[in-house]
Order: sequence, then C-alpha cells, then structure tokens
Amino acid sequence: MFATTLFLLQQVADAPTRGPIMGYIPIALLFAISLAIPIGALTVGKFVRRTVMTREKMMSYECGVDPVSDARERISIRYYIIAMLFLVFDVETIFLFPWAVIYDQLAIFGLIEVLVFIGVLVVGYYYAWRKGALDWV
Amino acid sequence: MPNVQELNLNYNAILPELCVIGAGLAIMMYDAFAPKGPRRLAGWIALAGLAGATYSVWRLWGLETAPSFNGMLLTDPLRLTFSIVFLLVAAVSVMFSMQMLDDERLPAGEYFTLLMFGTVGMLLMGGAGDLAMLFLGLETLSITTYVLAGFRRGDLRSNESALKYFILGSFSTGFLLYGMALTYGATKTTNLAGIQEAIATGALTSPGLLTVGAALMLVGFCFKIATAPFHFWAPDVYQGAPTPVTAFMAAGPKAAAFAAMLRIFVMTFPADGGDLSRATTGVLVIVAIMSMIVGNVAAIRQTDIKRMLAYSSIAHAGYALLGVVAGDWTSVMFYLLTYAVMNLGAFGVVSLLARVGDEKTDIEDFAGIGFKSFGLAMLLTVFLLSLGGIPLTAGFMGKLVIFKQCWQAGHTTLVIVAALNSAVSLYYYLRPVVVMFFREREEEFVPPRVSTMAEVALTLALFGVIYLGVFPGRLLSELDRLAKRTPAAAQLNSQR
Repeated sequence: MFATTLFLLQQVADAPTRGPIMGYIPIALLFAISLAIPIGALTVGKFVRRTVMTREKMMSYECGVDPVSDARERISIRYYIIAMLFLVFDVETIFLFPWAVIYDQLAIFGLIEVLVFIGVLVVGYYYAWRKGALDWV
Repeated sequence: MPNVQELNLNYNAILPELCVIGAGLAIMMYDAFAPKGPRRLAGWIALAGLAGATYSVWRLWGLETAPSFNGMLLTDPLRLTFSIVFLLVAAVSVMFSMQMLDDERLPAGEYFTLLMFGTVGMLLMGGAGDLAMLFLGLETLSITTYVLAGFRRGDLRSNESALKYFILGSFSTGFLLYGMALTYGATKTTNLAGIQEAIATGALTSPGLLTVGAALMLVGFCFKIATAPFHFWAPDVYQGAPTPVTAFMAAGPKAAAFAAMLRIFVMTFPADGGDLSRATTGVLVIVAIMSMIVGNVAAIRQTDIKRMLAYSSIAHAGYALLGVVAGDWTSVMFYLLTYAVMNLGAFGVVSLLARVGDEKTDIEDFAGIGFKSFGLAMLLTVFLLSLGGIPLTAGFMGKLVIFKQCWQAGHTTLVIVAALNSAVSLYYYLRPVVVMFFREREEEFVPPRVSTMAEVALTLALFGVIYLGVFPGRLLSELDRLAKRTPAAAQLNSQR
C-alpha cells in the first residue's frame, strides 16, 4: 500500500516532462486533499459529538459582544476610497520587489525607471489627498 | 535573463504615449492644486498633449518597422495610421466635451484625465507586439470608458449605462484573457511574432488549444466592437452615456479593438495558411452578416436618435469586418477613419441639439428645426448622409474601398449583402432629415448655444467628411505605399 502510494507520487513528480497538462496533477491532488480534510472532519464530528442548541450558541459571533443588528448594513463609501488608496501602495510594492531582486543588474537605469514609477504613483496619491480622500470626517 | 541593452528600450517609439500620459498627469496636478472653480484650462492641456503626440507620431512616420521594449511595442504602419485615428477622435471629443462640462458644471479635471488615459490605452493597443501589452492597453482603455460612461453622476440613465458597460465589458475581457492564456499554452509565447513563428513552423503543443484560444479571443473582440450577436450592451450604453462620451466610445475604442483584431487575426494567425484562418474567417463572415442585418433592421424601429446611431454603429462594425475578412488592414483603417469623422460629427450635433443634460434625444424633438437652426440641421444632414454612404461623402469612399477589397478577396456574397444593407440603412438615416426639414413645429424653439470649440470640432468633422469623400486619392495612395511595406503573413511564409 505504502509502496504503491510512493510509486504514484514518484510518477506525479516526473509528470511535467510528459505534457503540459500532467504538470497540474500535484495541484489537483492538493485540491482534493484540502477538500477531503474539512469534509472528513465535519462528517466524523457529526457522528461523535453531542448537539446542544441554545439561543446564545446560534447567534453570530461578533468579538464576544452580542450582535446588535443585521450584518447586511450599508457601508460608508470611505472604506472603498481607503481600499483604492491601498491599491496605490500595494501595486507599488508588487512592482518594487522584482526590481529589488535584480537591482544590481539594472543599475542606474533601473533606479531612474523606478523613481519615475514612484513619481507617477505619488502624483496619484497627492491627487487623492488634495481631493479630500483622506479627510475622514 | 536579457540585460538592459538587449531590452531594446527606445523612448522615441513611445513618445506619443508619453505626451498623452504627461498631459493626463498635468491635468491631475492642475485639478488638485488650482483654486476652486471650473477647470477651464484642463481641456487645453489635453489638446496640447494630443498635439504633441501627433507630432511625435509624424516623426516616426518614415521609419522602418521595428520592435522595441523586448518586442512589447511594434512601430509599424498599422500602429502609426491607427494612432492618427485615435488622436483625432480624442481631440474632437475633447472639443465637444468642453461645452458640455461647462454647461453642466461637471468636474472637467477628472473627465479630461480619464479621457487622456483612455487615449493612452488605445495607442498602446494599436502598437502592441505582445498579447500582454494588448491586454494592458485594452484594460486601461476599458476602465476609463466605464467611468466616463457614468460621468453624469446624478443621472440614472448614465449610471445604468456605466454599470451595464462595466459588467458586460468585464465579462468579455474574461473571454479575451482566457483565449490569450490558451494561445500562450499552445504556442509557449505571448509575443505575436513568436506566435506567428510557432504557427508557421508547426511548433505547437496542441493545435486544438490554439483553435479554442482563437475562438475565445474572437468572442472577446466581437464584444468590444459590438457586433451581433454580442451587441446587446451597445444601445443602452450609448444612449445613457453623456453624448460626447458616446461619440468617443463609438469611434475610439471600436477602432482600437479593430486594430488589435487586425494584429491577431490578419497579421498573426494566417501564418498557418490553412485551417485556423479558414475557421476564423468563416466565423467572421457570419458575424459580419448578422451584425449588418441586426443593426440596420433594429435601427429602423428606433425613436431615439442616440439609440438609432448606436444600432447604426453595430451595422458599421459589420461593414468594417469585411476588411478583416478580406485580410486587408489598410481598407479597415480607412473605413474606421471615415466612420470616426462622420460619427463624431453626428454625435456632436446631437449633443448640441439635445441641450443640457441630454434632455431632447427623441427624433420627434427635432421636428421643424431645419430652418430655425439651419447650420446645425444641415451639418447633421451631411453626417447622416455620409453614414448612409451617399457619394461625395467620406462614408461612400470608405464603403467603396472596403467592398472592393472584399470583392477581390472572393467574398462576393458578403459584398452583395453589405450593399443591400447599406441601401436599407438610407431609410433610417433620412428620417431625422425629413423630420427636421419637412415637419411643422408646435413648440417654441430656441437655437442652442454653440461654443467656439464645438464650432471648430464640427468644422473639422465636416472638412474630414468632404475631404475624404472628394479627394481621398492622396491618402489612399499613401496607405497603399505603407501596405506594401508591411509584409503580410502569407509573404513571410513563402520567404521561409
């Protein structure tokens, strides 16, 4: 049994040489396993555990405080503005990482390009600032 | 990993894009730091940026076809000629928008920034030498147009238009991106030249994957250019958006999507000289026929002039597809140039006649205004006749060139269907003319205010319609010369 599993895993590990689709088998396996674990745990738990339904227990959890209203409330538009501002910095970081990795090869040219890139983002940031996106009240 | 020298960085090649981006950023800063009040300078900054971009395109004109930025950008006649169309569309839209923004007190800074960034997206799409670049340009363009469509924030129709455009546009982008991913899977490269080589040498991981990829990309592009059966978003979006934005959307993004389509389906895929190009051409023939018939028949029944022009734009996408079917990019480019000029003119007049807030867009609202607002009525008549394809106008020359190319490529049935359709279309193009000149007016009529910039834009459009209609010779021979310099895929094949 163990030997068979090992053999199959070995096959999977060699797979990428045999066609592009075969390379996805580890991912499919991972997906299947990660699906099986929670489903298995829940199913086993259902047979083993004792069920007690009280009002407090069925309430939605809100940091220990009793919930006061429905969860489907209107959310202030400011959250979206903050989310968009977050994107400015998020994208910046994503592009700075690869640059930092090969910084020595790109040399002065890379540095200037990155400064231009940051400059463009700073323009966007100042724009949002001047337009009052950061005025919270 | 290629070092910096091998990346082929060429700042001359992206100078047009840099000019437009610079203008966009300048408008943003102006908007942020200027004191309260209308941003009257924003439009001028935009026009200056576009003028700079036009000059840099002109400087690139005589150069040899060359890839730059590691093959991401391709400077060839297709890019340069389409760039002129995009810049023209953007400039005329800016001129029309200035009056609307002023009248309705809309934030001009935001508007022109978005318009500039959208123009950059179009320019990048026209010059894309790589699927990744093409997608980047498309997204830059799409996201800005979604916002522009909903620019009249207080107007429900405008909101509806933006939301519909956003949802259906993202949906079609999904198709396109999936198609690109599968094409990448089949050819192991996103570079268009690389894809062409992989197809020509048969070095594909799976031919089926490429076919599916091509089909999905075809669906994505057909959505973007609004051809039947993927046209359902167009009438609602075009009707709801502010009219100058509609003018921009119907002329600019459509031309950009056609440029991208030409790059992929005319310049890259026919390299296999067989099944794939036959399949895509077959589908395009059907799409073109459906689009012409659906567009023209539905336009007959419209009572709202913006909706009517939206359906007419669906039909025109069908005509322009004839050139894609024929595999001739110059005729498509010429057609889109003529279409851009007359369409911008028609929507421009409508935006003036519809008054502040686009209140009066019913064709019946124009009853009897022919002699009360003679100039505008005559202009609208000229633009509508041109859209219908009356001789001595741009529309006629565009159709003539594209029909001729398609006929020579052997698609005779398609040309006959197109010619019949274009005859049918005259009925609905003439209806507003009849209503304007031969109907009595019951209500009071005050001729609308026409700002100087709108006058300049209308003059430009009128000049374009007449010039392209009467003296197209110079431009056509120049296009012919450029076309000879672009090696077609088939020739590349035979050289191997």
